[in-house]
Amino acid sequence: MNKDEYLKELRKLLRKLPKEDREDIISDYEEHFTIGMEKGRTEEEISKALGNPKNVAKQIKADHMVKKAEDKPSVGSIIEAILAIMGLGLFNLIFVAVPVLVVVAIIITLFVIGFVMIFGGIYWVLLPLLSFIFPKLLLAPSIGPNTSVLMDSLFTMLGGFAVTIGGILLVVAMVFVSKWFYELMIRYLKLNLRIIEGRKKDI
Amino acid sequence: MNTQFKKGVLELCVLVLLDRKDCYGYEMVDEISKNISISEGTIYPLLKRLKKEGFLDSYLKESQGGPPRKYYQLTTLGKVKKEELVKEWRSFSVGVNNLLYSEITNDSGAIKDE
Repeated sequence: MNKDEYLKELRKLLRKLPKEDREDIISDYEEHFTIGMEKGRTEEEISKALGNPKNVAKQIKADHMVKKAEDKPSVGSIIEAILAIMGLGLFNLIFVAVPVLVVVAIIITLFVIGFVMIFGGIYWVLLPLLSFIFPKLLLAPSIGPNTSVLMDSLFTMLGGFAVTIGGILLVVAMVFVSKWFYELMIRYLKLNLRIIEGRKKDI
Repeated sequence: MNTQFKKGVLELCVLVLLDRKDCYGYEMVDEISKNISISEGTIYPLLKRLKKEGFLDSYLKESQGGPPRKYYQLTTLGKVKKEELVKEWRSFSVGVNNLLYSEITNDSGAIKDE
Protein backbone atom coordinates (compact mmCIF):
# COMPACT_ATOMS: atom_id res chain seq x y z
CA MET A 1 0.00 0.00 0.00
CA ASN A 2 1.41 3.41 -0.87
CA LYS A 3 0.88 6.63 1.04
CA ASP A 4 -2.21 7.81 -0.83
CA GLU A 5 -3.90 4.42 -0.64
CA TYR A 6 -3.17 4.18 3.08
CA LEU A 7 -4.51 7.64 3.89
CA LYS A 8 -7.53 7.18 1.62
CA GLU A 9 -8.38 3.90 3.33
CA LEU A 10 -7.99 5.44 6.77
CA ARG A 11 -10.15 8.43 5.83
CA LYS A 12 -12.84 6.07 4.53
CA LEU A 13 -12.80 4.00 7.74
CA LEU A 14 -13.02 7.12 9.89
CA ARG A 15 -15.84 8.76 7.92
CA LYS A 16 -18.23 8.55 10.89
CA LEU A 17 -16.00 10.70 13.06
CA PRO A 18 -16.38 14.49 13.22
CA LYS A 19 -14.46 16.07 10.35
CA GLU A 20 -12.11 17.95 12.66
CA ASP A 21 -11.04 14.80 14.51
CA ARG A 22 -10.64 12.86 11.29
CA GLU A 23 -8.46 15.46 9.59
CA ASP A 24 -6.40 15.82 12.76
CA ILE A 25 -5.53 12.14 12.83
CA ILE A 26 -5.01 11.97 9.04
CA SER A 27 -2.54 14.84 9.26
CA ASP A 28 -0.60 12.92 11.92
CA TYR A 29 -0.20 9.94 9.59
CA GLU A 30 0.59 12.20 6.66
CA GLU A 31 3.37 13.79 8.68
CA HIS A 32 4.63 10.34 9.61
CA PHE A 33 4.89 9.42 5.91
CA THR A 34 6.60 12.71 5.01
CA ILE A 35 9.27 12.40 7.68
CA GLY A 36 9.79 8.70 7.01
CA MET A 37 10.38 9.41 3.34
CA GLU A 38 12.84 12.19 4.22
CA LYS A 39 14.75 9.53 6.11
CA GLY A 40 14.92 7.45 2.96
CA ARG A 41 12.19 4.88 3.58
CA THR A 42 9.71 3.92 0.89
CA GLU A 43 5.97 4.50 1.13
CA GLU A 44 5.37 0.75 1.22
CA GLU A 45 7.83 0.23 4.07
CA ILE A 46 6.19 2.93 6.13
CA SER A 47 2.61 1.78 5.60
CA LYS A 48 3.63 -1.73 6.55
CA ALA A 49 5.29 -0.50 9.74
CA LEU A 50 2.23 1.59 10.59
CA GLY A 51 0.07 -1.52 10.64
CA ASN A 52 -3.28 -2.27 9.07
CA PRO A 53 -5.41 0.89 8.77
CA LYS A 54 -8.38 -1.18 9.96
CA ASN A 55 -6.77 -1.72 13.36
CA VAL A 56 -5.76 1.91 13.58
CA ALA A 57 -9.31 3.03 12.74
CA LYS A 58 -10.93 0.61 15.19
CA GLN A 59 -8.77 1.90 18.01
CA ILE A 60 -9.53 5.53 17.21
CA LYS A 61 -13.26 4.86 16.87
CA ALA A 62 -13.45 2.98 20.18
CA ASP A 63 -11.64 5.83 21.98
CA HIS A 64 -13.98 8.32 20.37
CA MET A 65 -17.19 6.45 21.23
CA VAL A 66 -16.25 6.01 24.88
CA LYS A 67 -15.39 9.70 25.16
CA LYS A 68 -18.73 10.55 23.55
CA ALA A 69 -20.67 8.28 25.92
CA GLU A 70 -18.92 10.00 28.79
CA ASP A 71 -19.60 13.55 27.60
CA LYS A 72 -23.15 13.06 26.35
CA PRO A 73 -24.70 10.23 28.38
CA SER A 74 -27.39 8.30 26.55
CA VAL A 75 -28.37 4.68 26.07
CA GLY A 76 -27.55 5.00 22.36
CA SER A 77 -24.02 6.27 22.91
CA ILE A 78 -23.17 3.59 25.46
CA ILE A 79 -24.36 0.89 23.05
CA GLU A 80 -22.22 2.46 20.32
CA ALA A 81 -19.24 2.42 22.66
CA ILE A 82 -19.78 -1.22 23.59
CA LEU A 83 -20.05 -2.18 19.91
CA ALA A 84 -16.91 -0.22 19.03
CA ILE A 85 -14.89 -1.94 21.75
CA MET A 86 -16.27 -5.32 20.74
CA GLY A 87 -15.01 -4.51 17.23
CA LEU A 88 -11.53 -4.44 18.71
CA GLY A 89 -11.87 -8.13 19.46
CA LEU A 90 -12.56 -8.02 23.15
CA PHE A 91 -14.82 -11.01 23.36
CA ASN A 92 -15.33 -10.72 27.09
CA LEU A 93 -17.60 -7.81 26.27
CA ILE A 94 -20.11 -10.24 24.80
CA PHE A 95 -20.45 -11.67 28.26
CA VAL A 96 -20.76 -8.16 29.59
CA ALA A 97 -23.25 -6.93 27.00
CA VAL A 98 -25.93 -9.50 27.90
CA PRO A 99 -25.98 -8.77 31.66
CA VAL A 100 -25.88 -5.06 30.82
CA LEU A 101 -28.99 -5.43 28.66
CA VAL A 102 -30.74 -7.37 31.42
CA VAL A 103 -29.92 -4.68 33.98
CA VAL A 104 -31.04 -1.96 31.55
CA ALA A 105 -34.32 -3.84 31.02
CA ILE A 106 -34.85 -4.08 34.80
CA ILE A 107 -34.11 -0.37 35.22
CA ILE A 108 -36.58 0.55 32.47
CA THR A 109 -39.25 -1.75 33.95
CA LEU A 110 -38.86 -0.16 37.39
CA PHE A 111 -39.16 3.29 35.81
CA VAL A 112 -42.38 2.23 34.08
CA ILE A 113 -43.77 0.78 37.34
CA GLY A 114 -42.88 4.06 39.08
CA PHE A 115 -44.74 6.13 36.51
CA VAL A 116 -47.73 3.78 36.52
CA MET A 117 -47.85 4.15 40.32
CA ILE A 118 -47.73 7.94 40.08
CA PHE A 119 -50.51 8.21 37.51
CA GLY A 120 -52.53 5.37 38.97
CA GLY A 121 -52.37 7.04 42.37
CA ILE A 122 -53.48 10.36 40.94
CA TYR A 123 -56.35 8.58 39.21
CA TRP A 124 -57.44 7.00 42.51
CA VAL A 125 -57.34 10.38 44.20
CA LEU A 126 -59.42 11.96 41.48
CA LEU A 127 -61.83 9.05 41.02
CA PRO A 128 -64.01 9.76 44.11
CA LEU A 129 -64.10 13.45 43.20
CA LEU A 130 -65.13 12.68 39.67
CA SER A 131 -67.74 10.17 40.78
CA PHE A 132 -69.07 12.81 43.15
CA ILE A 133 -69.46 15.24 40.29
CA PHE A 134 -70.62 12.69 37.72
CA PRO A 135 -72.28 10.02 39.85
CA LYS A 136 -73.66 8.23 36.84
CA LEU A 137 -70.49 8.14 34.81
CA LEU A 138 -67.95 6.85 37.31
CA LEU A 139 -68.46 4.78 40.37
CA ALA A 140 -65.95 4.60 43.17
CA PRO A 141 -65.10 0.99 44.01
CA SER A 142 -67.07 0.12 47.10
CA ILE A 143 -65.42 -1.85 49.88
CA GLY A 144 -68.63 -3.25 51.34
CA PRO A 145 -72.33 -2.62 51.41
CA ASN A 146 -72.17 -1.26 54.94
CA THR A 147 -69.51 1.41 54.49
CA SER A 148 -70.65 4.85 53.58
CA VAL A 149 -69.77 6.38 50.26
CA LEU A 150 -67.83 9.10 52.04
CA MET A 151 -65.60 6.64 53.94
CA ASP A 152 -65.13 4.67 50.78
CA SER A 153 -63.97 7.71 48.88
CA LEU A 154 -61.66 8.77 51.67
CA PHE A 155 -59.95 5.38 51.73
CA THR A 156 -59.53 5.40 47.98
CA MET A 157 -58.05 8.89 48.04
CA LEU A 158 -55.62 8.09 50.86
CA GLY A 159 -54.56 4.93 49.07
CA GLY A 160 -54.07 6.99 45.94
CA PHE A 161 -51.84 9.47 47.75
CA ALA A 162 -49.73 6.69 49.22
CA VAL A 163 -49.29 5.02 45.84
CA THR A 164 -48.38 8.33 44.17
CA ILE A 165 -45.74 9.11 46.79
CA GLY A 166 -44.38 5.57 46.51
CA GLY A 167 -44.14 6.00 42.74
CA ILE A 168 -42.30 9.32 43.03
CA LEU A 169 -39.81 7.80 45.49
CA LEU A 170 -39.23 4.85 43.16
CA VAL A 171 -38.61 7.09 40.14
CA VAL A 172 -36.20 9.32 42.07
CA ALA A 173 -34.32 6.29 43.37
CA MET A 174 -34.12 4.86 39.85
CA VAL A 175 -32.65 8.12 38.52
CA PHE A 176 -29.80 7.72 40.99
CA VAL A 177 -29.38 4.01 40.28
CA SER A 178 -29.19 4.57 36.51
CA LYS A 179 -26.64 7.39 36.89
CA TRP A 180 -24.48 5.19 39.07
CA PHE A 181 -24.81 2.28 36.66
CA TYR A 182 -23.87 4.50 33.71
CA GLU A 183 -20.71 5.74 35.40
CA LEU A 184 -19.79 2.18 36.28
CA MET A 185 -20.16 1.15 32.61
CA ILE A 186 -17.98 4.02 31.39
CA ARG A 187 -15.27 3.08 33.87
CA TYR A 188 -15.40 -0.53 32.75
CA LEU A 189 -15.19 0.42 29.07
CA LYS A 190 -12.18 2.65 29.70
CA LEU A 191 -10.45 -0.18 31.52
CA ASN A 192 -11.05 -2.37 28.50
CA LEU A 193 -9.57 0.22 26.16
CA ARG A 194 -6.41 0.36 28.20
CA ILE A 195 -6.08 -3.41 28.13
CA ILE A 196 -6.68 -3.77 24.40
CA GLU A 197 -4.05 -1.17 23.61
CA GLY A 198 -1.53 -3.56 25.07
CA ARG A 199 -3.08 -6.77 23.91
CA LYS A 200 -3.41 -6.14 20.20
CA LYS A 201 -1.17 -8.55 18.36
CA ASP A 202 0.56 -6.03 16.14
CA ILE A 203 1.25 -3.39 18.74
CA MET B 1 8.37 -9.75 22.89
CA ASN B 2 5.39 -10.84 24.90
CA THR B 3 2.63 -8.44 23.96
CA GLN B 4 1.14 -8.70 27.44
CA PHE B 5 4.23 -6.94 28.79
CA LYS B 6 3.49 -3.91 26.71
CA LYS B 7 0.15 -3.42 28.37
CA GLY B 8 0.06 0.13 29.56
CA VAL B 9 3.81 0.57 29.19
CA LEU B 10 3.53 2.48 25.93
CA GLU B 11 1.60 5.20 27.73
CA LEU B 12 4.35 5.42 30.35
CA CYS B 13 7.06 5.61 27.63
CA VAL B 14 5.29 8.46 25.83
CA LEU B 15 4.84 10.48 29.01
CA VAL B 16 8.47 9.96 30.08
CA LEU B 17 9.81 10.98 26.66
CA LEU B 18 7.68 14.11 26.59
CA ASP B 19 8.76 15.02 30.11
CA ARG B 20 12.35 15.21 28.81
CA LYS B 21 11.52 17.33 25.77
CA ASP B 22 8.70 18.20 23.37
CA CYS B 23 8.60 15.71 20.50
CA TYR B 24 6.84 15.17 17.21
CA GLY B 25 5.16 11.83 16.57
CA TYR B 26 7.81 10.31 14.33
CA GLU B 27 10.53 11.20 16.82
CA MET B 28 8.68 9.39 19.60
CA VAL B 29 8.09 6.30 17.48
CA ASP B 30 11.78 6.31 16.55
CA GLU B 31 12.91 6.68 20.13
CA ILE B 32 10.58 3.98 21.46
CA SER B 33 11.38 1.57 18.59
CA LYS B 34 15.06 1.73 19.53
CA ASN B 35 14.16 0.03 22.79
CA ILE B 36 10.90 -1.83 22.30
CA SER B 37 9.46 -3.23 19.07
CA ILE B 38 6.13 -1.53 18.44
CA SER B 39 3.86 -1.14 15.46
CA GLU B 40 4.38 2.47 14.45
CA GLY B 41 0.70 3.16 13.90
CA THR B 42 -0.42 2.43 17.45
CA ILE B 43 1.18 5.49 18.95
CA TYR B 44 -1.06 8.02 17.21
CA PRO B 45 -4.38 6.79 18.63
CA LEU B 46 -2.66 6.79 22.03
CA LEU B 47 -1.43 10.36 21.55
CA LYS B 48 -4.92 11.41 20.55
CA ARG B 49 -6.48 9.81 23.61
CA LEU B 50 -3.90 11.32 25.97
CA LYS B 51 -4.54 14.71 24.40
CA LYS B 52 -8.31 14.37 24.84
CA GLU B 53 -7.84 13.37 28.45
CA GLY B 54 -5.85 16.55 29.00
CA PHE B 55 -2.42 15.03 29.60
CA LEU B 56 -0.90 16.42 26.38
CA ASP B 57 -1.04 19.52 24.24
CA SER B 58 0.17 19.99 20.69
CA TYR B 59 1.53 22.90 18.67
CA LEU B 60 2.96 23.37 15.20
CA LYS B 61 6.60 24.29 14.73
CA GLU B 62 8.53 25.08 11.55
CA SER B 63 11.08 22.53 10.40
CA GLN B 64 14.09 23.08 8.18
CA GLY B 65 13.01 22.90 4.57
CA GLY B 66 9.78 21.00 5.22
CA PRO B 67 6.20 21.57 6.31
CA PRO B 68 5.70 22.46 10.00
CA ARG B 69 5.66 19.54 12.40
CA LYS B 70 3.19 18.82 15.15
CA TYR B 71 4.95 18.79 18.50
CA TYR B 72 3.44 17.29 21.62
CA GLN B 73 4.11 18.57 25.12
CA LEU B 74 3.09 17.51 28.64
CA THR B 75 0.49 19.53 30.49
CA THR B 76 0.61 20.00 34.26
CA LEU B 77 -1.95 17.21 34.53
CA GLY B 78 0.28 15.06 32.32
CA LYS B 79 3.27 15.65 34.60
CA VAL B 80 1.27 14.45 37.59
CA LYS B 81 0.13 11.39 35.63
CA LYS B 82 3.71 10.64 34.60
CA GLU B 83 4.97 10.79 38.20
CA GLU B 84 2.17 8.49 39.23
CA LEU B 85 2.91 5.93 36.50
CA VAL B 86 6.67 6.01 37.10
CA LYS B 87 6.07 5.33 40.79
CA GLU B 88 3.74 2.44 39.97
CA TRP B 89 6.18 1.03 37.45
CA ARG B 90 9.07 1.23 39.89
CA SER B 91 7.37 -0.73 42.63
CA PHE B 92 6.00 -3.21 40.09
CA SER B 93 9.36 -3.88 38.42
CA VAL B 94 11.20 -4.08 41.74
CA GLY B 95 8.68 -6.64 42.89
CA VAL B 96 9.05 -8.73 39.75
CA ASN B 97 12.87 -8.52 39.87
CA ASN B 98 12.86 -9.59 43.49
CA LEU B 99 10.93 -12.67 42.56
CA LEU B 100 13.17 -13.42 39.58
CA TYR B 101 16.64 -12.83 40.98
CA SER B 102 16.69 -12.90 44.75
CA GLU B 103 17.42 -15.97 46.83
CA ILE B 104 14.55 -17.37 48.77
CA THR B 105 15.30 -15.91 52.18
CA ASN B 106 12.47 -17.29 54.19
CA ASP B 107 13.78 -20.67 55.34
CA SER B 108 10.54 -22.09 56.53
CA GLY B 109 8.84 -21.04 53.35
CA ALA B 110 5.72 -20.26 55.25
CA ILE B 111 3.72 -17.13 54.75
CA LYS B 112 3.48 -15.34 58.05
CA ASP B 113 0.03 -14.50 59.22
CA GLU B 114 -0.41 -10.92 60.27
